[in-house]
Amino acid sequence: VKALSSRREFLKITVTAAGGGFLLALGLPARSEVRDGLTTDAPFMPNAFLRIDRAGKVTFVMPFIEMGQGTYTSIPMLIAEELEVDVDKVAIEHSPADDKIYANPLIGLQLTGGSTSIRASYVPLRRAGATARVMLVTAAAQRWNVAPSTCRASNGEVVHAATGRKLRYGALVDAAAKLPVAENVALKMPSDFKLIGTPHRRLDIAGKVNGSAKFGIDTRLAGMKFAVVAISPTFGGTLASVDEAKAKSIRGVSQVVRLDDAVAVVATHTWAAKQGLAAADPQWNAGPNARLSTSDIVAQLV
Amino acid sequence: MITLNVNGKARQLDVPDDMPLLWTLRDVLGMTGTKFGCGLGLCGACTIHVDGQPTRSCITPVSAAVGRRITTIEAIGTTSAGSKVQRAWLALDVPQCGYCQSGQIMSASALLASKPKPTDADIDGAMAGNICRCGTYPRIRAAIKEAAK
Repeated sequence: VKALSSRREFLKITVTAAGGGFLLALGLPARSEVRDGLTTDAPFMPNAFLRIDRAGKVTFVMPFIEMGQGTYTSIPMLIAEELEVDVDKVAIEHSPADDKIYANPLIGLQLTGGSTSIRASYVPLRRAGATARVMLVTAAAQRWNVAPSTCRASNGEVVHAATGRKLRYGALVDAAAKLPVAENVALKMPSDFKLIGTPHRRLDIAGKVNGSAKFGIDTRLAGMKFAVVAISPTFGGTLASVDEAKAKSIRGVSQVVRLDDAVAVVATHTWAAKQGLAAADPQWNAGPNARLSTSDIVAQLV
Repeated sequence: MITLNVNGKARQLDVPDDMPLLWTLRDVLGMTGTKFGCGLGLCGACTIHVDGQPTRSCITPVSAAVGRRITTIEAIGTTSAGSKVQRAWLALDVPQCGYCQSGQIMSASALLASKPKPTDADIDGAMAGNICRCGTYPRIRAAIKEAAK
């Protein structure tokens, strides 16, 4: 067993008692090429959150989206491996849109792609799971007044083998949240992995079978409006004119937003917005690429 | 005001007669399980049932559904065929990204409701209008056969 954490990254974990539960806030590390340029007095800005409630439910709030590549299964596997919980019990919540906080550590934008999710998460999320586990074990050991080294974690509970006593994680979260963040936590050796490297059923399938899975287009907020956008059909073209009055004559249309090279019609629902955009009948200045053809492009390439 | 019967409930709606069912479901009723794909009836992502018939909600105006039974992915599991299809989809891990799967399941459920033991040709015919960019077609076919067992 070896400790993988560098002290600087390790300190990017904080613990909070969160409304009756345990919340680890962690910072997925920034791109390696910029990390060394960060000043050490920069405020800690967590961008991923591991929460365990009093019922023992484990929730991970994370910035990586699921688009069929399996992150909603593989990311919980990283946590469950070290936390010693059933991977099916780790729920994922998607973090809100915020490029400043939730930028992909390897890309610099809040973007999921380029096979970066696991590369960015592999050590930090295992460390988060292991840190939580050590703190839960410590809380149980204190409750029993025994040495933590005589206890072990397994399947969502802490066990004191000598006496057969057991405590579920949910019963330990309030005590664990009051402990200092465990440091220099050892991660498992790959030979000890029970989940990582093994096939597992996808955890996102149920929602995709009953319609409850939320895709980006399914976001609904209180008082939300819907917009339809038209963009200049030529690269470098600009918006010439829009019939705003006609667009607003469509029931439900509330606003026409003009940009240099695009126009958006905002309405109470998508249908009104679509009709509003058709009524707006945007006209374009085609710009310098008005007559650009495929043969022009080929000629420029060769 | 019009009244629509959506998943067994009467819903009073103040929407234009020509508004497609898709946007009524998604933007007015907040039922986002039915997906917008092409908006032209070409991809099948928006498939719902109207009186049990698979219907492209993106090109079906609300006026055409007045007095008829609308069933969406949110309630298809309450039907015998829909429940079998959903169980088979789970058992075979059919979805990848999942965006087209509501429509796939609605088309497959309508097929099994009318033909409990479909042939390969029946499956091809019923599912030809549902496109899956991830290419889950082999699992879709296998799951329909599983659901028909």
